[in-house]
Amino acid sequence: MFITDIRKNFYDVVANQRVALLVAADIDALCACKILQALFHCDQIQYTLVPVTGWQDLSTAFLEHKEQFRYFVLINCGANVDLLEMLQPDDDSIFFICDTHRPVDVVNVYNDTQIKLLIKQDDDLGVPAYDDIFRDDEDGGDSGNESDEGSEPSGKRRRFDEGAIERRIERQRAKREWEARRREILFDYEQYEYHGTSAAMIFFELAWVLTKDTKDMLWWAIIGLTDQWVHDKITHMKYVSDIATMQRHVSRHNHRNEDEENSLSIDCMRISFEYDLRLTLYQHWSLYESICNSYYTACCFKLWTLKGQKKLQEFLADMGLPLRQVKQKFNSMDITIKENLRDVIEESSNKYGMKDIRIQTFGVHFGFKNRFLASDMVHAAAALLESTEKEQNDTTDNFIKALNSLSRNNLDCLKAGIDLAKKKLIAIQQTVASCICTNLILSQGPFLYCYLMEGTPDVKLFSKPLALTLLCKYLLKAFVHSTRNKRCKLLPLIMAAPKDVEKGTVIVVGIPPDSETSDKKNFFGRAFEKAAESTSSRTLHDHFDTSIIELKTEDRSKFLDALITLLS
Amino acid sequence: MSTNNVVDERIAKFKNKGKDLAKLREKRIIECVQLRKAHKNESFLKRRNITLSSLPDEEALSPENDTVSFRIEDIIKDVNSDDREAQTRGSQAARKLLSKSHDPPIKEIIDAGLLSRFVSFLSMDDEPTLQFEAAWALTNIASGTSWHTRQVVEHGAVTAFINLLASPMLHISEQAVWALGNIAGDGTAYRDVLIECNVISALLARISPDTPVGYLRNLTWTLSNLCRNKNPCPPLCAVQQMLPSLIQLLHLSDTDIVSDACWAISYLSDGSNDRIDVVVRTGIVPRLVELMNNKELCVMTPALRSIGNIVSGSDLHTQMAIDAGVLDVLPKLLRHPKPTMQKEAAWALSNIAAGPCKQIQQLITCGLLPPLVEVLRNGDFKTQKEAVWAVTNLTSGGTVEQVVNLVQSGALEAIINLLLVKDAKVILVILEAVNNMFMAAEKLGETEKLSLLIEELGGLERIEMLQNHSNEIVYQAAHNLIEKYFSD
Repeated sequence: MFITDIRKNFYDVVANQRVALLVAADIDALCACKILQALFHCDQIQYTLVPVTGWQDLSTAFLEHKEQFRYFVLINCGANVDLLEMLQPDDDSIFFICDTHRPVDVVNVYNDTQIKLLIKQDDDLGVPAYDDIFRDDEDGGDSGNESDEGSEPSGKRRRFDEGAIERRIERQRAKREWEARRREILFDYEQYEYHGTSAAMIFFELAWVLTKDTKDMLWWAIIGLTDQWVHDKITHMKYVSDIATMQRHVSRHNHRNEDEENSLSIDCMRISFEYDLRLTLYQHWSLYESICNSYYTACCFKLWTLKGQKKLQEFLADMGLPLRQVKQKFNSMDITIKENLRDVIEESSNKYGMKDIRIQTFGVHFGFKNRFLASDMVHAAAALLESTEKEQNDTTDNFIKALNSLSRNNLDCLKAGIDLAKKKLIAIQQTVASCICTNLILSQGPFLYCYLMEGTPDVKLFSKPLALTLLCKYLLKAFVHSTRNKRCKLLPLIMAAPKDVEKGTVIVVGIPPDSETSDKKNFFGRAFEKAAESTSSRTLHDHFDTSIIELKTEDRSKFLDALITLLS
Repeated sequence: MSTNNVVDERIAKFKNKGKDLAKLREKRIIECVQLRKAHKNESFLKRRNITLSSLPDEEALSPENDTVSFRIEDIIKDVNSDDREAQTRGSQAARKLLSKSHDPPIKEIIDAGLLSRFVSFLSMDDEPTLQFEAAWALTNIASGTSWHTRQVVEHGAVTAFINLLASPMLHISEQAVWALGNIAGDGTAYRDVLIECNVISALLARISPDTPVGYLRNLTWTLSNLCRNKNPCPPLCAVQQMLPSLIQLLHLSDTDIVSDACWAISYLSDGSNDRIDVVVRTGIVPRLVELMNNKELCVMTPALRSIGNIVSGSDLHTQMAIDAGVLDVLPKLLRHPKPTMQKEAAWALSNIAAGPCKQIQQLITCGLLPPLVEVLRNGDFKTQKEAVWAVTNLTSGGTVEQVVNLVQSGALEAIINLLLVKDAKVILVILEAVNNMFMAAEKLGETEKLSLLIEELGGLERIEMLQNHSNEIVYQAAHNLIEKYFSD
């Protein structure tokens, strides 16, 4: 069931209990987790934090903790499957689910006892009405005198409506119709996968209701929302309207601290609304490198072509910025250039057809020196979360590092994350360029398909879901800019990359078509399931996003063939 | 390898392909649905309190609920109007309200003073639709509590309905049959009122080879209600009037008809020996034994009940049942999956065991001892109780050889095990059986052998324990046994 009063029905319930926090591996989930941890510290609520990367992980984590815990909080996982059926919990386990995954499984919605959904009801949920999908097969027989077989007949009998038989036939017909309608309704409801309001924002709202919200929490909520934008989970409309919500909170907080003395101290924290450049990590890079490795500019210039490179030079010349300044560290750039840099860039961008070079976002100051944009944080944390640097690449270790990078007392960690993120962005851009230049993107009819071969540079990086999703998004944008085929511009993209060479598996990601007005609804989840079923391909649907699966390399072609047939 | 297995198991779990999970899910869905249902009913009721206009469930599905108003005020106005059409419309609306499966407004309709109108409609032979709607409405009102039924009767519905039985319109006549069944089913008083009014001949007149099955079902049920209830039993002349037709109905093939006819026989045979005699003399016993073998539970149950009643009669009655082959059927029934069947069968067996040694011998010859011991061991408590009676009856009426036979079949061990039960009555019956067995042993001079056997089976210990029993009579019986047979 949906919880309407998050304070009364969630926070007060767990307040004196031990809680197991099961947190999915995405940045919004980490931010939500940070907020909840802060609240729990504040109220001395004991909890155990368990990172989970997929359904198997979640099941194991539950099995390991179900004896000690009664209350489980699931962040960004659990809403889109029939959780009780999957976990088979005892009757007294209670699950609080704060998950952006849509659609929410109908059983979760209508279970009143064990499933508590911390999900905003004003999100565009479209849950089918209870009576449309569940039917109480009441009264068994309907002719009234079918009491327990073999027992004495009743002394009196009421006559029900005409012709019991007629009615039964009518009922059966109605039931069949109802079932057909139910299938239709559920099909419509479950057809597309998409995302709702950020989990971090939900928990921030809780903190606010409890009047325990801090600037740190606010910043995490902003990062959570920005993650949804960076990883392309929500529509532009949704992003802008949620940004507005956050902006109200930001002004409230800034206003509250206005007269305080510490407004400019070494350990102060200041969040500000920015209409900033869509150049990734530019304040921690050189302007030039940021332009080269931001998908927006890279795609507009088509930087993978010689012509594109030339265009970039012209663009820089147009802005009147010396190449030496542009190529050096942003921090060391001439202060006079930096002063009205954003306006200068915007002006030239407009000339070059980049009308949306600026975007509503937030920045933070830690003390005097350290300034970060929300998207910087997302990229850094994501890079840490999916780091492939260390040989052992331990997921829990990565999880903790990513979590730490979000705290302001761990700037070293954050900076390490930023360095990793730069490498990742460079790798993405290079891979995009090579895929476009070598025509690796094939039109399969109903969708585009790109397979990264084993041995491609940085292929290991793209065995991770977030990185591959980002690559997918950038690649599709680049392809749409480079192809002349109008029909292809409207197609969704499937990418496959080697996952585990020893096991012979690939990771497959599907994303919806790229367009300004995209509703970000993804139908690949269902399609993958169906295709795997019909070909009995060896697939593992373990990821919380149903549009990300694992597949045996040998089964790839039959799986694709089935997918083409299915979607044609 | 082993870790692989663990992973596989886990995958199997999460892939939820396991079949036993289905049950759990079912349970969960049921719970979930029940919760919802509770909510729904709640809101449903609330809605209903405001207005009576909500369509009953049944109506929602039937196509012909055009423009009928279900507001009680409208119904009152219509029914009380002089216009036939309005009367029909009002009666139909009332009938529909009374026919919905949930919470019919019987009281409201009575309080609205509509009953006298309905009863007067019954005699309007030129308005068959109105007759039918009124008859149906009254039927459903009479199906309620005794008070509801009384309202119908006191408005003079009995004679009107009996007259209606003769209606040329079959469905109207059938509705009258049904209504009379409800009135008869209320209890002995109205049953005998109906009989006084000659309902039986009017009913029997409708039985013909052309009568449709549905009609006959209702009629059989109504007849069975006229046979039903004791203190007093239905008048003997009425019973004799009905019996030939009941026998006739009992030979039909329709399960529902046979079931109700059989129940009628079971009511009639539930009485003193002269009542049983009336039933038995119709020659129905072989058919009843045959029906005990029927595959339908709703036939088996009343057939077994009837035979149980008959074998509780005189030795002659019992012998007729034995001759009809009841002992060949009973083993199967003692092993029936339904405990109630086992109990009834054990009860019948206990009565046969109470007969003369000739009948006991037939019982043993037909192989009834093994299933008897089985239910002593594994039956539910009610069945065990009846089976204990069978043992005790056999030990008190049987020959020495027959008692030896019984002990050897394992019955002694089984009843000793039952000495642990709480029910003092059962314990006393068991102790009596043990005592009877000793009396048989005395005749053979083998009391010591029996004492030893009982001790070996742990019986002595239990009987000793019973000397601490709070029930005085149990204590006395146990004490006597110890004194007499275990004192040395």
